[in-house]
Amino acid sequence: MGELRDFQTLIIQISDIEEVKRTARKILETDANPVDVLEVLNEAMREVGNRYERGEYFLSELIMAGVLASEVTEILKPSLAKTDLESQGKIVVGTVKGDIHDIGKNILIMMLSAAGFEVVDLGVDVSAEKFVEAIDKEEADVLGISALLSSTMENLRGVIETIRREGLRDQIKIIVGGRPLTKEFADEIGADSYAKDALEGVRVVKELIEAAEV
Amino acid sequence: MKKRDRVLKTLEIEEPDMVPITEMDMEVPIMEAIIGETLSITTSLQTPIVTDRRLERKRTDFKIECYRKVDLDLLTVDLSPPEGWKPEENPDGTIVDLWGRILMLDKEAKAWVPYSTVFNQLEDFEDFEFPDPNAPGWTYATEYAKKTIGEEMALATFIRDPFAHAWEIFTPVKFVTWMYQNPNFIGKVIKELSDFNVEVIRQIGETGADLIISGGDYCEEKGPMVPINFFRDVIFPNLKRQVDEAHRGGMKFIKHTDGNINPLLEDFADTVDGLHSLDPTASVEIGEVKAKYGDELVLMGNVSVDNLAMKSREEIVEETKTCIRRASPGGGHILSSSNSWAAGAKLENCLAMVETVRRYGAYPIAI
Repeated sequence: MGELRDFQTLIIQISDIEEVKRTARKILETDANPVDVLEVLNEAMREVGNRYERGEYFLSELIMAGVLASEVTEILKPSLAKTDLESQGKIVVGTVKGDIHDIGKNILIMMLSAAGFEVVDLGVDVSAEKFVEAIDKEEADVLGISALLSSTMENLRGVIETIRREGLRDQIKIIVGGRPLTKEFADEIGADSYAKDALEGVRVVKELIEAAEV
Repeated sequence: MKKRDRVLKTLEIEEPDMVPITEMDMEVPIMEAIIGETLSITTSLQTPIVTDRRLERKRTDFKIECYRKVDLDLLTVDLSPPEGWKPEENPDGTIVDLWGRILMLDKEAKAWVPYSTVFNQLEDFEDFEFPDPNAPGWTYATEYAKKTIGEEMALATFIRDPFAHAWEIFTPVKFVTWMYQNPNFIGKVIKELSDFNVEVIRQIGETGADLIISGGDYCEEKGPMVPINFFRDVIFPNLKRQVDEAHRGGMKFIKHTDGNINPLLEDFADTVDGLHSLDPTASVEIGEVKAKYGDELVLMGNVSVDNLAMKSREEIVEETKTCIRRASPGGGHILSSSNSWAAGAKLENCLAMVETVRRYGAYPIAI
């Protein structure tokens, strides 16, 4: 367990990427349960997120923790595939049509992956039709749509309307996020939830999936 | 008082006849709405891409006409690309700029926005040829604008900050990864980009421009984007070199950044002449900054760019009055939005800012 705690500290302290990867591989070689490693990684990411929220860490540290988590997740994947660990849920994410900003979305993806979710990234400038196609194809639990610009946030309304028109609205929970958005706007356009940033996004996605399972 | 004199007095942190007003930039659709004509040119706030000199003149004329029609005091122009350069066009419709940024067209804003990068590995940078600051043409639009407006309005040239430049050139995830893996490399890149800026600022100084505005964010909503010691060790010393060069050329230097700048205010006050945008959505209260640093920093802002898109005309009038009340007494305040007049802004709200400052912005401030 001490080895796992040390590993967790490496992530929290944003240690050298090669050292983190080396340590992850070494832990797996000692027959540690990869599910335990994933849980420790998840806890580390939560702590990094808390430090960022408290203003103790900067955006670069949040991003770098996400990079470390992505690297470790890749290393864990083959071992996790041999366990009976179920995915925490599947999320499709994309930035709305007309908007090509993606920092927040990319941080969200890294953090969701580290938390054990399966994430499908549709990229930026995604049309309503492409979101609909992905809902059909991916059978995801949650759709996350982001917009950074006040000029593109209205396009979120069009996406949700298109999903409703196609008869898919009941099949998926929708979370929206991005700098100019508010909870009031999310309610008005018919989203299930809203997150002001990536950290809140992870919390909200978990809540949406847990609520759907009840 | 002439508009240029109004701005120059403000840049000295003195009270002119009234609070000057400008915008760091206006996206093409909002300029089209103001002029009532279509401008068939796409631009970029981040990088010079209008290669055809005829179009560059047309774009500058369009902007001048727009700033005149709205009655702004300070004209802002971008750097032009060096003569003979053409962006590389990719099959997917994206283009590659002078610094290896891959840009995608935001059709609604008619603006090219950084989206990706040609740098996949750190080593890719070693083989990349940076643009030559001594190549002719960088100040083409500035020279043309100065010839056109003379002393009518003050003139600012918009340059890209080396930190923001590097952040975009590499994209955020790669920038951060390489910053932690090899901080000396990122430091070297920021120094090289600063060397470039210093030389270009020298050339801008020869055009008769009054001000440099350095674009690109240092902060996001919660605070600085990278640790403060990185700012102090790498970013601010290079920023100071650019400011010093602007001063040698008889110009002032205003740094733009969105986000929560409060942890860096002391450093800014020691380094630059002024700050834009004083982002009201990121815990920046312009009255507090004025009270603490009003004797050292010119403040340019801060009517919320989001509110320009979403609030009513009456609310914008009140917000502008509040902004004047808090930031204008004593001089040193240029009224503007908290970023630029974006394509999504309501034109009537933008114009309400101008009407309000003309009505309530006469010194001494009495609202």
